[in-house]
Amino acid sequence: MEIAVIGNEDFVLGFRLAGLRRVFVATPENYGEVIMKAMSDPNIGILAADGKDMDLLPSNVRQKVLDSVQPVVVPVGRGETDLREKVKRAIGVDLYKTEDE
Amino acid sequence: MPTHDITPTRSVLLDLKKRIKLSQNGHKIMKMKRDGLIIEFFEVMEKAKQMRGSVVSDYQIAMNKIAVATAVEGEIAVKSAAYAIKAEPQVEVGSKSIMGMAVPRVEAKIERGNILNKGYGVISTSAYIEEASEAFENLLVTLVRAAEIETTMKKRLDEIEKTKRRVNALEFKVIPDLLEGKRFVEFRLEEMSREETIRLKLLKSKSEKA
Repeated sequence: MEIAVIGNEDFVLGFRLAGLRRVFVATPENYGEVIMKAMSDPNIGILAADGKDMDLLPSNVRQKVLDSVQPVVVPVGRGETDLREKVKRAIGVDLYKTEDE
Repeated sequence: MPTHDITPTRSVLLDLKKRIKLSQNGHKIMKMKRDGLIIEFFEVMEKAKQMRGSVVSDYQIAMNKIAVATAVEGEIAVKSAAYAIKAEPQVEVGSKSIMGMAVPRVEAKIERGNILNKGYGVISTSAYIEEASEAFENLLVTLVRAAEIETTMKKRLDEIEKTKRRVNALEFKVIPDLLEGKRFVEFRLEEMSREETIRLKLLKSKSEKA
């Protein structure tokens, strides 16, 4: 299985340097469409995405992307907000809450 | 179970009693499963927190390195090096079972070969590009590990949610409904036996009068 990356030109350039060939270049306008296309490819095991771009997606698509297991979508470059929501929903307590919050 | 759907007979009462016992046992086991899953989840969560932290820090390092490389060498040089790289990292996604739940096992095959085998010219490419490439390779390794842990965590959370819903359904819907049904059948049966006694008494008094 392959590792793929999705994001704007600058984001994917670095991953190309690490040897990734499955690169999906997306603009904010067609991000949702491209990510769905990437996710439907059965050869992709891991999909690295820019955490900032995730916020552009409509909430239902975003939830679907973040809950996906095949492929696993890993948002790069931001904290654990997505996991935090999921933990809060399942456990009922915000376990990521720090003392100063 | 709505009470108007129940026929108040002894066999139904026996059946209801059996079902109540089964539901109560099931509820106990489900509760234990939920608690076990939550305990296991805490272990994974710690790991996931650390991995997310390393992904963020490795990403920042990598982005800084590539920014320096682009500033010094220019975008075209970085891009041409990026397109020249030969290595193609692959992952193998298998699965293992934990508490009857399939969780993925991701193994990465990331070749971190010698600079000479990378695909770009050693003389024409500067150390900045090499550093950036190395930083992104590191990020990729962290990313693959993070992917495995996060998927395990997501699957566990789904399982916890599912189990929790089942526990609640049993506790607040199924068992109370069955108990209500049992109460109704018992009440009806008692009522019927009382009616029967009265009828017999009436018949007896009538026959005595006659």
